[in-house]
Amino acid sequence: MSFDRDARTALADGQLRGALRHATTLFGERRRAAIADVPDWEGARDRARAIKDETLLHLDRYLEQFAANAERAGAQVHWARDAAQACDIIAGIAARRGARTVVKSKSMASEEIHLNAALAARGIAPVETDLGEYIVQLAGEKPSHIVVPAIHKTKGQIAALFAEKLGMEPSDDVAKLAAAARQALRRRFADADLGVSGVNFAVAETGTILILENEGNARLTTSLPRTHVALMGIEKVIPRFADLEVFLRLLPRSGTGQALTAYQSLLTGTKRHAADEGPEELHIVVLDNGRSRMLASPVTRQTLACIRCGACLNACPVYRQIGGHAYGSVYPGPIGAVLTPQLLGMGESAELPYASSLCGACRDVCPVKIDIPAVLLHLRAQAVARGGTTGTRALLERLAFASYAAVMARPRLFGWLMACARRLHIVPPLGAWTKWRDLRPLAPRSFRDEWRAGLRHEGGR
Amino acid sequence: MRSEDARREILSAIRENLARGSSPPVPLSVPETGDVLSSPSPEGREGQGVRTFTERLAAVGAQCSVVRGEAEAAGALAGILSGAGARRVVGSDAPLVQRLLRPLRDRFEMAALDRLSRDDLFACDVGVTTAQWGIAETGTLVLESARERSRLLSLVPPIHVALLSTRCICESLGDGLAHVRQADSHAITFITGPSRTSDIELTLVVGVHGPQTVHVLLLEDV
Repeated sequence: MSFDRDARTALADGQLRGALRHATTLFGERRRAAIADVPDWEGARDRARAIKDETLLHLDRYLEQFAANAERAGAQVHWARDAAQACDIIAGIAARRGARTVVKSKSMASEEIHLNAALAARGIAPVETDLGEYIVQLAGEKPSHIVVPAIHKTKGQIAALFAEKLGMEPSDDVAKLAAAARQALRRRFADADLGVSGVNFAVAETGTILILENEGNARLTTSLPRTHVALMGIEKVIPRFADLEVFLRLLPRSGTGQALTAYQSLLTGTKRHAADEGPEELHIVVLDNGRSRMLASPVTRQTLACIRCGACLNACPVYRQIGGHAYGSVYPGPIGAVLTPQLLGMGESAELPYASSLCGACRDVCPVKIDIPAVLLHLRAQAVARGGTTGTRALLERLAFASYAAVMARPRLFGWLMACARRLHIVPPLGAWTKWRDLRPLAPRSFRDEWRAGLRHEGGR
Repeated sequence: MRSEDARREILSAIRENLARGSSPPVPLSVPETGDVLSSPSPEGREGQGVRTFTERLAAVGAQCSVVRGEAEAAGALAGILSGAGARRVVGSDAPLVQRLLRPLRDRFEMAALDRLSRDDLFACDVGVTTAQWGIAETGTLVLESARERSRLLSLVPPIHVALLSTRCICESLGDGLAHVRQADSHAITFITGPSRTSDIELTLVVGVHGPQTVHVLLLEDV
């Protein structure tokens, strides 16, 4: 992966940048309006974070409680140490149930484990059913935003795609495009033997899983096929059923600026009677895949408090310019820059912690108050410790910072050097900073000189 | 068994990593502030909840009619069905739904819930169900699977008509969560307005996978 190269490609794409500006600005405005209605937003954030902290500090206990209660209600709970195990488990369930077509509702975790490729390799056709994910899948591309995956595509491009793949009359009417997708996906839902969903929250007290959405595809995915597989990271568990309230207040408002998304499905085990609606089997796959490692330090642990709302993406000045693709991972934006290196290991994504100006906008909007800049700095320190930069570059860097420290600690030396630079009209080379920006020439007199002269002047009056 | 090994490994990895962390593993106190303790209902203002509920329904793009008693409800339901040009209608097994739909049998084709195939369901124009609770704060309908078979009827047909008693409107999301009989229902569905998406150029489209129209018939006691 090359963040640097891919970011440059994104920056050169005017259409992408226009779409990103529109989307991130709109979501930011909607979020601000939505949280203005909540009497004690700060209190809600604190409470949610405290619940997450409490859960994470006792994660083993809450996971066991969740699994026991889900199993008591009829679900089958599977545990996956890593992506390969999770894919094997899900493919195994599909094979045992004789599933040929699998419908999927949006799940970041399923993208994290590359489930679609794993299923396709076993001759099973996975169909994404969230409209944005469906468009991205038809186009053979990757999502560029957590909440609106196809934000990088115009309706004209989508119309051309649907004309080619679905045989619909090209149309610029967004409602017609959505209707074409609805019709095509209805057939898939009718045929599907297995539904795969994500999980937003898993309640330890009751064994309930909660899925939020707006389109209704997650409801179809979890109620039409005979078998439902829900994939969740270990960090999705919360202790009590009543805890759902605070998270339901925070998540939709932070994500899309809605007071509540159109649908919440609260699923507890399987149907109680044969005549009931819903799948015969519910399988819950609990995924670690590098998450338990993050528990070892309080700094990295907070990464696991994330509820995947996407607010930090919309607020991030870097993401707003380059979008999701440049991050080269399933999780983009500020949260992706801290999550990806921890999930995949620094070797895969050592550049990502540097994809930030550390401005802190992500921390300010985070509904669970994750201090993302602190985690970024922690990971940068790790990258340096494991020899992120080596050889001459490291030596030069060390030399540069040592000289800088020496000069800054000696005011007279600093003054003398600046006077020389002024006289010789030297602007120090600042590498990448001056590559794309013009640095103004140094003023003929320094501010300190002006100040001193001004004081003398004032005093002389 | 492999999953059993993975379970043991994951749980011990969690314990080991937590032990490595510097913070002591004591229970944190969760602050009780923060807007989550349901705000008390405005004292003595009967009907405030209903008003808020209908306002919120309108805000999320749902229709709403307030009717008094079953006879009026039956008339309103017939009006909604014919107004929508419905041909095939399917009702849940809730007694109220059955009672209201029975007199409409000769005007609309009624799909039988017990023999409903997937194709039959997909061919219905309207699904009629009750809702167990309404949440005023958000304009949300709450459907519990233990109470009736409404999960697909409220989802697959393009029009969903939901019958709700004004007595079952609660103030806040927290009240709603406290009321649902979670232990009895394998599926509880919260519905707030029609199905929606903004996935194409952020343009709002309703009815992408679920109903395009949600019509709430609010029944006041006679």
